[in-house]
Amino acid sequence: MKLLKRGLVLILAFALLISMAACGTKEAASTPDTTAVESTPAAEAAVETTPESGSSEPVTINFFSNLPDRSSGQGLLEQTILDNYMKENKNVTIKIEALQDEPYKQKFQSYVASNNLPDIFHVWGQPSFFEAVMEKGYVAELNPNDYTNYGFFPGATKDFSYNGKLYGLPRNQDLTTLYINKAKFADNGVKIPTTYTELLDAAKAFRAKGIQPLAINGRDKWILNLFYQDILIKVSGNQQTIYDASSGKTTFSGDPDIRKAAELFKKLVDAKLFQDSFTSADYGAAQNLFLQEQSAMFYMGAWEVGMASNQDNSESFRKNVDLVPFPIVEDGKGKITDVCAWNGGGYAVSASSKVKAEGLKLLNYMMSPDNWPKIGWEKGLVVPGQNYEKYLTGKENQLQLGVTSILKTATSMSGTSWNDVNPGEWKTTVENAMQEYAAGITTVDEFLATLDKAVVKK
Amino acid sequence: MGGIRRNKAVIFALVFPGLLIFVFAVLYPIFKSVYYGMTDWKGIGEFNFIGFGNFKAVIFEDKVFRTSLLNAALLAACTVLLQHPLAMFFAIVVDRVGKRLESFFRATLFIPCVISVVVTSKMWVNVYNSSYGLLNKILDVFHLGYLKQDWLGNPKIALYSVIFVIMWQGFGYAFLIYYSGLKGVPEELFEAGRIDGANSWQKFTHITLPILKPVILVNVSIAITSSLKQMEPIYLMTNGGPGTKTQFVANYLYMKAFNSQQYGYANAISVVFVIVCLIATVIVQRLFRTREQ
Repeated sequence: MKLLKRGLVLILAFALLISMAACGTKEAASTPDTTAVESTPAAEAAVETTPESGSSEPVTINFFSNLPDRSSGQGLLEQTILDNYMKENKNVTIKIEALQDEPYKQKFQSYVASNNLPDIFHVWGQPSFFEAVMEKGYVAELNPNDYTNYGFFPGATKDFSYNGKLYGLPRNQDLTTLYINKAKFADNGVKIPTTYTELLDAAKAFRAKGIQPLAINGRDKWILNLFYQDILIKVSGNQQTIYDASSGKTTFSGDPDIRKAAELFKKLVDAKLFQDSFTSADYGAAQNLFLQEQSAMFYMGAWEVGMASNQDNSESFRKNVDLVPFPIVEDGKGKITDVCAWNGGGYAVSASSKVKAEGLKLLNYMMSPDNWPKIGWEKGLVVPGQNYEKYLTGKENQLQLGVTSILKTATSMSGTSWNDVNPGEWKTTVENAMQEYAAGITTVDEFLATLDKAVVKK
Repeated sequence: MGGIRRNKAVIFALVFPGLLIFVFAVLYPIFKSVYYGMTDWKGIGEFNFIGFGNFKAVIFEDKVFRTSLLNAALLAACTVLLQHPLAMFFAIVVDRVGKRLESFFRATLFIPCVISVVVTSKMWVNVYNSSYGLLNKILDVFHLGYLKQDWLGNPKIALYSVIFVIMWQGFGYAFLIYYSGLKGVPEELFEAGRIDGANSWQKFTHITLPILKPVILVNVSIAITSSLKQMEPIYLMTNGGPGTKTQFVANYLYMKAFNSQQYGYANAISVVFVIVCLIATVIVQRLFRTREQ
């Protein structure tokens, strides 16, 4: 009987061990979920084991996207092109995983850390994001000769290259845009601003009528850095001013243009230009305020030109929305045609992908002139990073026309925004500093001093 | 059957799986953290061994780390001094109410704990919105418009707004623990007290409180450790903002690792954090042990 008891105990012990180990591996395998409520991830990425070969062999490509909304804007464009590719290549299955920007960046980090990157994925062509990835050989090298007829704008691939080699392709011409609601201005007798003073007056006028002047996603601090850069461009008239300070050639505290721009920024904040609680409003909340016609203006990027065509938005909104170039500063040296523009989003292929050839084929297909630029422009979904003049349909929405005109007449472009121009800790430090300054926690001197300290640290 | 329980081999066989999991899931990662904390790893590629540089920076130079600990201390203080007395008061009242109402109140008071923290945090962000939020609108209705605030954007009060939400969500647990403790107080003691002519307050201080001491200890320990490890409400409501006013350690080290890509430094923060939590737990245990004697 003793033997039986001992046997039973041992079996129980083994059962416990195995069940806990099974629980353990299950927990390890399920990827930690992100807490962004707004993201709706499509299928989870699966591990690829089929060897790459001729076109008749079934191939699975893992696609990691930062566009969870597959029914509008860039997400729809991406999905459309991928669906077309799968139709034309019956043996290919594309598994898509999509997360919104911030959770995307965090999951990307864990993919890199575990050397487990999906086959093809979205990247931002900014040193703060992409430089380390290119430097450490995580992305496949691209052949520039493949793209001679792709019509990329000059300088578009600069931030996607490292040491003279090309590693990614840009998908947008990004620029900051001041969207406005024409009806709000007309109904309240406010002049649409073309100068700084008019912007300040508009803020005061709207506030007097109890209307939020400008919606901005202050919680996602980077937008505040862009707004400040726009002011600085108009003050100094020199795109290099902020980059010289960011690289240590000059200092933030010592440059009078930088200081003046900071003071002008603060004056707008104090006049309550931004909506109430702007420091806790995220992208969705700020945009929603504008879409519901509760704010007169919305400061964001040109990638939102699809707002005017999106049937989910009210007809009243689609009729009233428009955009204007960022106002000039009266005694500043910048012209209205000096723009804050760069090539941000793009795609790259993993260097360790087991289906690299297929991944590269998909990338070239996606960005070919007949796909991303053509479909994107014709459907009013994006402003491509490639020449789209031959795709002008004459049916462009007013936002697309506005952006096209700004791009056509631009006399200078900034390049990557200043908060993304140095790798490592720079980005979080200057974004935190910007938000603290906007929230009134620091003075202009403390703000500029923090920026200078961050430069030395790098 | 006693033979089985005392048999050392049996004890080992049954404890071993749990111990194995503990070693691999808790101890080993902590040691790895100590190792990575001594490097300057950026998450990608090679790293250099830099000794205790990170640890020194965390303890002596990092202002945000200190702010985070102070915020956690403030949360713990508010929880113990405000939430617990209120929870105990409710526990006593609900205990006395009796019959069907008792189970009704037990359920409703516990509801916030059951709702996902993502849902409650985002809900409160909307309630706190200074233009469209419920809170400011209610103040208007009651002609208290002058009390309206930018609840999450004003650097002076953002921390208290967040603390309130955390206390609100955890209220059910504190209440439930005190309530179960109360149920363990023998009714004869209250009878004896009544006969001796004790009033309600004397009954509370001389009968209820002494018997509840172990329960209070449990609740306070839980309050302190959970205050230290708060992450989700912070991440979801303010992400430490405005600036770093509402920053807590867990959210801070998450940002350092995944936003700033400073994995080495983040590991150092986490190790120092573990040590701080251990010290806090030991202090709480010591304080209550002397009282029990």
